[in-house]
Amino acid sequence: MQKEQICFTLNGETIEVYTDPTISLLRLLRDELGLTGTKEGCGEGECGACTVILDGMAVNSCLVPAGKAKNRSVLTIESLAKGDKYHPLQEAFVEKGAVQCGFCSPGMIMSAYALLQESSEPTSIEIRTAISGNLCRCSGYKQIEEAVLSAAEKLKNRGESG
Amino acid sequence: MSYQVVSNLEQVLSALKNRGENSRIIAGGTDLFLEKLPEKLLDISALAEALVIEERGGTMLIGAAVTHARAVASPLLAKKVKALTEACAQVGSPQVRNLGTLGGNVINAAPAADAAVALAALGAKAELIHYSGNTRTVEIEELYAGFNCSAIDSCQELLLRFVVNSSDSGSGSAFARLAARKSLALPLANAAAWLRVEHNCLQEVRLVVAPVKPAPTRLFKTESLLVGRPLIAESWREAAGAAMDEVEVRGSLLRCSADYRRHLIGVLVGRVLETAAGRALTAKGEA
Repeated sequence: MQKEQICFTLNGETIEVYTDPTISLLRLLRDELGLTGTKEGCGEGECGACTVILDGMAVNSCLVPAGKAKNRSVLTIESLAKGDKYHPLQEAFVEKGAVQCGFCSPGMIMSAYALLQESSEPTSIEIRTAISGNLCRCSGYKQIEEAVLSAAEKLKNRGESG
Repeated sequence: MSYQVVSNLEQVLSALKNRGENSRIIAGGTDLFLEKLPEKLLDISALAEALVIEERGGTMLIGAAVTHARAVASPLLAKKVKALTEACAQVGSPQVRNLGTLGGNVINAAPAADAAVALAALGAKAELIHYSGNTRTVEIEELYAGFNCSAIDSCQELLLRFVVNSSDSGSGSAFARLAARKSLALPLANAAAWLRVEHNCLQEVRLVVAPVKPAPTRLFKTESLLVGRPLIAESWREAAGAAMDEVEVRGSLLRCSADYRRHLIGVLVGRVLETAAGRALTAKGEA
């Protein structure tokens, strides 16, 4: 295993890591950088628990070789809260009961975050499509859809976009 | 292990030439990354030549590194090759569509890959460049060596782009599939049609279904039956029956029985023909 220097932007900060570029971005984030908010579910792109944002797009971090992140921008669930202040999506997930066991929540929220960057007033269908790659096995999807709608309204009222 | 993101074509070809068989091209990686990776990977997902979506003199050029998501978002593709847009929209999930590429959909060589089925119906040809500099242009169906086995050796050759004739007026295309769920599911069966209409009759038809053979499968008999037929429900019904007779399908414990799959292929064939014919008429009206 040969390691190399990989420079990329992580949650707004430029960082440089020395790692095997063929491990997954998920492994890099969790095991080497300690960002355990991103979850590993299936590890093969079927469940969406590991969703992060790569250059503005939701991706399964378990399917992304670390080397692909080179010179690009990665956002994880850890980037959303500002100090003690949770992101409207995080608030809405709690308020609407969209969280039960919570394992799918980081990935679900990152998929919703990618949607809200594109569309400030998403329709139900857009929300369902945006989270169609994220499996939740306990809450049911209705509360999650409501939470995303509610977060979109909050952001609109605050004049923000995500 | 090494991972190189390459940004120009010469870099790709010289790396393939110099590094030998341990070096392989990777793009979206959504399938490849789950397999045992070769020592050296050349990532072409930022290679400008493989990212084109443009129409040049009656030919659509569609880069092999174009992601499914980008294909879905392209108004030009929606206008000219609607079957491809429809197919790409149904691959995997948003996350997979943001990574996975059209070239990868073909090279992964799954027998019912949605984009590959649409490309075959559209008569797309693949442009390949060997590291020696030799180029070849090949039909989609010829890129399959067996079940889940591509005829392209990505240690030696780069699939650069697809070319699709877009000059025919009065043509239309459509794609349809059925899967156990609306996302994150492989299709039980899929079908795509391209056709050209003149004087309210079918002049040319390309009809492709999967999974039947290792490659997307043209239904030549059903196609020839359709030529000259009027655009009426009876034609689609007959075609559905002919398609069911023409295909030899296998069932699987995982997805569905052979009988069900045969029936499904008939239904999907009827649907894509009707939709494509409607689009051909609309295109004629606009021309």
